[in-house]
Amino acid sequence: MDPETFRRDLGAWLDDNANDLTPPYEGIGSMDAHMAHYSHVKRALFDSGFGRYGWPESVGGLGGSPLLRAIIGEEINFRDLADPNAWTMIEVLAPTVIDFAPPELSARLVPPFLRGDEMWCQGFSEPDAGSDLASLSCRAAETDGGWVVNGQKIWTSFIEYSQRCVLLVRTGQPESAHRGITALLVDIDSPGISYSPIETMHGRRDFAEVHFDDVFVPSDRLLGEVNGGWRVAMDILPYERSTTFWHRGALLHRRFSDLVAQVSAAGNRGDAAAKALGQAFQWIVAFRSRSRDTQHQLAAGEQLGVETSVDKILITSAEQQLFETARDLLPGVMEFDDDLAAALWRNDYLYSKAATIYGGTAEIQRNIVARRLLDLGPES
Amino acid sequence: MSQFIDADDLALLASSFEAAMADAPGPSEADQAMYDLGWAELLASAPGQGAATAFSALGATGSAASLLDDVVANALGAETALQSCCVFPTPHKADAPGRLRGDTVIVDGLLSARAETAVTTVLGVVTESGVGHFAVDAGLLHGPAVDGIDPGRAYRRIVVEIPAEALEPTASEGSWESAVATARVALAHQLLGGARWMLGEARQHAIDRAQFGRPVAQFQAIRHKLAESLVQIEGAASVAGACLHDPDPMLAALAKSLAGQAARTTATHAQQVLAGIGFTAEHRFHYWLKRMLVVDTLFGSASSIPVEIGQHLLSEGTAPRLIQL
Repeated sequence: MDPETFRRDLGAWLDDNANDLTPPYEGIGSMDAHMAHYSHVKRALFDSGFGRYGWPESVGGLGGSPLLRAIIGEEINFRDLADPNAWTMIEVLAPTVIDFAPPELSARLVPPFLRGDEMWCQGFSEPDAGSDLASLSCRAAETDGGWVVNGQKIWTSFIEYSQRCVLLVRTGQPESAHRGITALLVDIDSPGISYSPIETMHGRRDFAEVHFDDVFVPSDRLLGEVNGGWRVAMDILPYERSTTFWHRGALLHRRFSDLVAQVSAAGNRGDAAAKALGQAFQWIVAFRSRSRDTQHQLAAGEQLGVETSVDKILITSAEQQLFETARDLLPGVMEFDDDLAAALWRNDYLYSKAATIYGGTAEIQRNIVARRLLDLGPES
Repeated sequence: MSQFIDADDLALLASSFEAAMADAPGPSEADQAMYDLGWAELLASAPGQGAATAFSALGATGSAASLLDDVVANALGAETALQSCCVFPTPHKADAPGRLRGDTVIVDGLLSARAETAVTTVLGVVTESGVGHFAVDAGLLHGPAVDGIDPGRAYRRIVVEIPAEALEPTASEGSWESAVATARVALAHQLLGGARWMLGEARQHAIDRAQFGRPVAQFQAIRHKLAESLVQIEGAASVAGACLHDPDPMLAALAKSLAGQAARTTATHAQQVLAGIGFTAEHRFHYWLKRMLVVDTLFGSASSIPVEIGQHLLSEGTAPRLIQL
């Protein structure tokens, strides 16, 4: 199916089903409400067939270009129909699981994720392994028929709603760095897994700290090869930075449009306001254009690599500029008002501060651009 | 109907354009060399790709060739010829440079180096019935020579009054709005070509220059300035690349503004990384810096276009998606 036809048909279906798909929660909504509605929308899209396009038939999809998945997430975000971060988890995790899991494992586990019956999470970062991910120390020791995992993970989103976790563990010597890491697909209900939520500064419990205490993982849950986990982790990045970013870009576009509408309705038509809006808009468009190029490379089967760091820097800069502009042009709103619009601006403003930290900090991205794209040689 | 040129042919064209402009001693020789290479025919058959290729080369070489006259004339449907030039809008603006006031046309705009030798000038004029464009005897637009900041004198300001009867109607049908969009995309490519040149100079300097016993390229402060420059260039280049055929006026405006911003950021960072040598007349950096300052002001700048875009958005009350998969 060509992208334009797909977008049109999908748009018509979303419009027809707007009553059923519009979030029922008043205000910002609790995590529970967000997750319940996310599952509902995901299931409805699966049942309609739209949600199965762009995924291989081996995992319950209907085939077709991955561009179609990008379009679904874009329309969901433009219409604000589901929690954006929940929506995008499958884009981060499933393509890599399909690439690296034994085919029978992905054929069994991915379909419930695609249907919205399950959520998965990502166990990468640790308290002492943030930017320096290769120094992670959560350990997996070989045992009869599998591994025993001991250690800690942090910043794990959605774990309390998840059934599986893509986990990076140390299987080599402690100093083996990226050469001694293995990727496992772990059931969250395995005995020995416990977690506690981390409350963020924007008042949500998005993340958790996870403890693994003698957790048994059967050997058929290996993703890729033993000590080949770094490849798995690196495989995730391009997916995260293509489709996921395209989705988030759509959200930023919608929020920018909200801002334009509010500033316009408030009658603030001065050149200073116009200039700030124009400057914010141009970087949103620059990101969207760049991301479109990246999407087409992915769809053409090209290997995405370090150049996606450019996409990451563009979207995080655009996001922070957008919400700083909102704070300037809606004076005092996010600081002093409590109505829904104000609460949303406050929420998004505060959340935007994480954009230059998660998924590789702004500084790490610039290091990658300098080393790999500008060929400046090693750092001192 | 425009043709589509394949990537290999474009690469070949790009290198012959660069060589021609780099070798030409001045703008009129550069114009002549471009015409000899078939620039006018290319512009007529593949305006988007032709202008993108030529203006990237213009930016990379720092040439003062007057190719913008051809791009604007072609977009207006006027004749492209070495004897013909255009009047461009006043700095930071995109309005037609002529205003009809009774029997007089007030011209406030910019002329390229080609105006020195041109016979005919194409002049956009704001009249009661909209913007029209006319042929004017180039001799009427001679003003006092002013040096300005750019030693290459690629453009100069002109503020004169001419009699309305000097306006000769033309049969061409291109609109001023589409000429603005076309010029903005071409200029975006020039700014980005120049920004890439500045970034390349700064990169090489950072690798070659040693302080504290190591190349300064090893210092993160320097690496991040250069990385930030590349990110802005690539973001702007993507938007300029999306404007290849029949560009949407808003997207073309954004391409020009983004390219101007990327060029400003790159110039600032490159200047700092080049440090002492980049402040001397001995290093060629200042030619590109000064040309960038001039080209940024043509057809709206990175300061003025955001105001124009923002006013448009405020009047619509919403933001268009512009780019689709």
